[in-house]
Amino acid sequence: MSKSAPVRTPTDLTSSVAGGIGASPQRPDGNLKVRGEFAYASDLWHEDMIWGATLRSPHPYARIRSIDITEALKVPGVYAVLTHSDVPGKNLYGLEHPDQPVLAVDVVRYQGEPVALVGADHPETARRAMERIAVDYEVLEPVVDMEDAAHGRGTPLHPGGNLVRHVPIRHGDQQVTAEVVVTGEYEVGMQDQAFLGPESGLAVPGEDGGIDLYVATQWLHVDQKQVAQALGLPLDKVRLTLSGVGGAFGGREDLSMQVHASLLALHTGKPVKMVYNRLESFYGHVHRHPAKLYYEHGADRDGRLVYVKCRIYLDGGAYASSTPAVVANAATLGVGPYDVPNATVDCWGVYTNNPPCGAMRGFGAVQAGFAYESQMDKLAAAVGLDPVEVRIRNAMHEGSLMPTGQVVDSAAPVAELLRRVKDKPLPPVNRTEPVDIREMPGGASNTTHGEGVVRGIGYAVGIKNVCFSEGYDDFSTARVRVQVIGGELSALAHTAACEVGQGLVTIMQQIVRTELGVERVTIAPMDTTIGNGGSTSASRQTYVTGGAVRSACQTVRGRLFELAARKLGVDAVGLSLHGGKLVSDLHGVLADLVDVLGDDVVDETVEWRHRATESLDPVTGQGNAHVQYGFAAHRAVVDVDVELGLVKVVELDCAQDVGKALNPEAVLGQIQGGSAQGLGLAVMEEIQTSGGKIRNPSFTDYLIPTVLDMPPMSIDVLELADPHAPYGIRGVGEPPTISSTPAIVAAIRAATGLALTRAPVRPEHITGT
Amino acid sequence: MPDNSETPKQQHKRRTVLKAGGAAAIAGIAAAHSVTEASAATQAQDAALAADTEASAVPIVLTVNGQARQLRVEPRVTLLDALRERLDLTGTKKGCDRGECGACTVLVDGRRIKSCLTLAVMRQDCAITTVEGLAKGDDLHPVQAAFIRHDAFQCGGCTSGQIMSAVAVIDEGHTGSTDEIREWMSGNICRCAAYPNIVAAVQDAAKEKRP
Amino acid sequence: MKNFEYARANNPADAVRLVGDRPGATFIAGGTDLLNLMKDGAQTHDRIVDVNGLALTDISHGNGFLRVGALARMADVGAHRAVREKFPVVSQALLASASPQVRNMASIGGNLLQRTRCGYFRDTGSACNKRIPGSGCPAIDGENRGHAVLGVSDHCIAAHPSDLAVSLIAVDAVVLTNGPHGERRIPFGDFHLAPGDTPERENVLTHGELIVGLELPLTPAAAKSQYLKLRDRATFEFAVVSVAAALDLRGRTVNDVRLAFGGIATKPWRSTDAEAVLRGRALDTATIDAAGRAAVHGAIPRAHNAFKIDLVQRALSRVLHELGGVR
Repeated sequence: MSKSAPVRTPTDLTSSVAGGIGASPQRPDGNLKVRGEFAYASDLWHEDMIWGATLRSPHPYARIRSIDITEALKVPGVYAVLTHSDVPGKNLYGLEHPDQPVLAVDVVRYQGEPVALVGADHPETARRAMERIAVDYEVLEPVVDMEDAAHGRGTPLHPGGNLVRHVPIRHGDQQVTAEVVVTGEYEVGMQDQAFLGPESGLAVPGEDGGIDLYVATQWLHVDQKQVAQALGLPLDKVRLTLSGVGGAFGGREDLSMQVHASLLALHTGKPVKMVYNRLESFYGHVHRHPAKLYYEHGADRDGRLVYVKCRIYLDGGAYASSTPAVVANAATLGVGPYDVPNATVDCWGVYTNNPPCGAMRGFGAVQAGFAYESQMDKLAAAVGLDPVEVRIRNAMHEGSLMPTGQVVDSAAPVAELLRRVKDKPLPPVNRTEPVDIREMPGGASNTTHGEGVVRGIGYAVGIKNVCFSEGYDDFSTARVRVQVIGGELSALAHTAACEVGQGLVTIMQQIVRTELGVERVTIAPMDTTIGNGGSTSASRQTYVTGGAVRSACQTVRGRLFELAARKLGVDAVGLSLHGGKLVSDLHGVLADLVDVLGDDVVDETVEWRHRATESLDPVTGQGNAHVQYGFAAHRAVVDVDVELGLVKVVELDCAQDVGKALNPEAVLGQIQGGSAQGLGLAVMEEIQTSGGKIRNPSFTDYLIPTVLDMPPMSIDVLELADPHAPYGIRGVGEPPTISSTPAIVAAIRAATGLALTRAPVRPEHITGT
Repeated sequence: MPDNSETPKQQHKRRTVLKAGGAAAIAGIAAAHSVTEASAATQAQDAALAADTEASAVPIVLTVNGQARQLRVEPRVTLLDALRERLDLTGTKKGCDRGECGACTVLVDGRRIKSCLTLAVMRQDCAITTVEGLAKGDDLHPVQAAFIRHDAFQCGGCTSGQIMSAVAVIDEGHTGSTDEIREWMSGNICRCAAYPNIVAAVQDAAKEKRP
Repeated sequence: MKNFEYARANNPADAVRLVGDRPGATFIAGGTDLLNLMKDGAQTHDRIVDVNGLALTDISHGNGFLRVGALARMADVGAHRAVREKFPVVSQALLASASPQVRNMASIGGNLLQRTRCGYFRDTGSACNKRIPGSGCPAIDGENRGHAVLGVSDHCIAAHPSDLAVSLIAVDAVVLTNGPHGERRIPFGDFHLAPGDTPERENVLTHGELIVGLELPLTPAAAKSQYLKLRDRATFEFAVVSVAAALDLRGRTVNDVRLAFGGIATKPWRSTDAEAVLRGRALDTATIDAAGRAAVHGAIPRAHNAFKIDLVQRALSRVLHELGGVR
């Protein structure tokens, strides 16, 4: 429907390297990526395109008295200047609550909130035009304290007040007491996804009055719905295609430039490209909720947990985004992977004028994990037990009861994971001389050859829910087609599930090869011409879209057998496919599938959903809210230069149950990646805000781990099948992010004897000055 | 093909593509602040606008991947933007445009640099190699092949820069140990943290180079 | 980035004239800091004069000194044998700077003119006395973990970012310039300016004056020198605090010493007071601690950077213990 296709839109991916499930075949996009030919959203180009740019609020909280665009429109080369009054549909969007304006109307609630759009022949022209948009702001005192916001103190920022969601969980005896009590207060800083490819996309106006949007996102259909509502268009007039995605990690689940570029395209009749730079990216996506957590653990003298009481505050910033889900995760997973007979959990997610927060790898579970694991170490010390032993004594197992009353009904090898990391050989304390300073705290900075260095070891284990929870109708759609092309049997798999780097495209090929015995498998570009694939988040795509692809293959297989039965005059029962051949249980190989198919095409689309979940009781927090739990444990070995406050993570070992490793190489990649992001949160990563303003929106001032910070990892992958999941798999991407941070901080505590209640830990926290 | 110059018509069209996003996005934050005090500055901006036209573009020749490419660029155009937006070489990535991530690493006269931190006009008379210039037809450069073999990337956003740095690291002789590789590859951030596999790929490719 | 006119200089005189002629002109060498400042809008120029064609890249021996051309690149100077052997502190400071790619680009002369990482300075939406004199300094009561505790004024507390400059002040380098008023030799300690009430002035160069080289005097202290850099990440990051020390011991007695500090001051910070504590005394833990106290005398802490006062003393102690073989 678009006027013409842009340059560098995604193409079919076909890899000739064979490999079904359990193998680690080459990624089908690998060759393109190493050649620099993979088409990312930022690489899109269209013959007639213009550039879109966003004027953003400099204030965290202000009333807009007026917006005057007269002067901006006079700038030569400007095609359009748009404000809220130009939004034809609903000027509110949001993943769960539509509370965020496409363009601000009379108030801005965070620094960086979009106020106006410019479409121009050149980004530089757009910049000049934006300088001439006169926005008259009445600056207001920002709300920045999450606890005040939770408890009704301070200015309400939204009509319903500043509480987005409160999840209480009441489990067991609420009055119980214990012999040993440990308490703690913890803080987790605001982390950024910091994907390498900033937000970008291209909107092309269609001849039917609709829009074709090429974009880097995590969830095409939720974008489609929100864009359509904002534009006042029916869904079928908003067509999305996934462009190459330069990392996501949760940060692309919310809209960024999608509606803005589409609005400009509809207004100007021209294709509009928008690309954020790094600074704008820091303002243009949600971050990980910073958290304040208060915990009390009660146990007997043997270290067996009697109760856990906690209050968790999560700062959602200006708009809700996925705060409700983050709150539910933090609450339901708030006591960790332990058998806790009595629990009192309260978790609040709030509005403030801080940057909006939403999904990031491990959302909700990461913040709680830092606190409950810190508490378990405190408990170990209080009862005189080894930190691993105290965890094993309380470890959840299959059949355990969550504080929500849900029975953990598949493998929960928490004790086994802990034993595995504990039993790994330790790196030697005394290095060979001369010391390579790059292995020491301070890295390449020449700070120590061993002076002041103390070794510390820390452990942690974490739990994460996999897939969408609380009764959400979580499904994916897959289409699989089999036909003969050029005499060769070929399959095509098509979904709208977003490949963001994790390797879903590889997994889809592997599943088709395994299910249909077809070597040549093409992955069609992901778009909205097919049904919803759901979000690439919550570690769910291999589970749900993998399940859908398998299910589509099964349907295709049934059709092939019917075809064969008809053409060959055999019974469709007892047939199977092996290496492109049709095999009968009774008669062996019957025919080549190529011959059976001939010119016929078998093409099936299925929707596949995981078993249903339930909502949480709003008063007691009881309910079978989650479909699956994933577990990982880490052992961190650190060297701390206790005099200079520097930390070197010497080794970061991990054990994780993945149910079934469909692609072992990709599983390791996920565990390494998740662990590294946890390391970042432990020792360096934090968006610093002051009065609601981000003070470090750059990669010089917001630090992410380099290759020199990345420790060696020894990884054990357990494969304890979940009978409810396709192939028995368990979501992989998030669990390693959860236990990595507390394990590292525990190791630093072990080396320093300090309490260290805040992540990230900085040199001054160690030197105590 | 020594001369790959653009026709005047193409030049005009492609001018709109200069400076992808970068400057505009910054202005989003900066501009709003200056709104109330902007009127005084407006005249100065008008003058700047008048000067800031196509007339200020200068003809240059860039030698990229062995080809001399003629183009007209404004002096402010970085080498990165010239490659991506003018020469259609989008393999070189813009992750930060501030020299903080390494995704834009290219070789200039055999040395690796960050192409976002230099101007195209400053790099005439230089031999520029981008990721597109490494493979010989279907034959991947040993570093590219090693990156695939070792699964040394996920999203691929940093990969072009990692590969260009890796080619240079091997040439520099900084592959004596994994620690050395890690130190000298540390100018390239990988948020997917495929680091262990990147190190393995560099080590492997270095061996191939030094039989 | 605002547009500008681009010119290439063929010789130093050309360069000086091309910049000197135009108030809004400046030189470009590596460009690794200048282009970021221009992209951020923290600095604007209407003419950029490319000096990379000038023959100023040599590293050569003179009578009692090493001469380093201003256009020698950080990577080449850091790896140069004479620099590594005679001025280890300089080599170490260079190799601990930025990333390998940036070190391949950035020039020695340009590095001395590198501007602060202060977030308020680089954010045109903020007030900043360095960028817009008289507009105020939000760092003093704002986010100031990265800021200076020494050499500060009521107008500016921005920390100087260069590692190299800290090492050069510790080896008594001399900056050689060529400007509209001829050639100058500027002792390194006189080159940078503390902010005072003119934070926009960061050094003594006049408009159009070009750094052409450095002279590094060969001394026993410089040959026994070390750079220690403490940062928030193992590599590819600016200093939280850093120490450059050059030490000439006779037996256990300090014959000569140079101590300089980074990350804590508004300019490359040499502490002659700390040196005086050590000179002529036996180097031991007590004198080292006393030197540390002298080095931070008069430091003014703010809300987030007070830790640096202690941390830099610990860093100094570490360096001197190692250089002096104490313990």
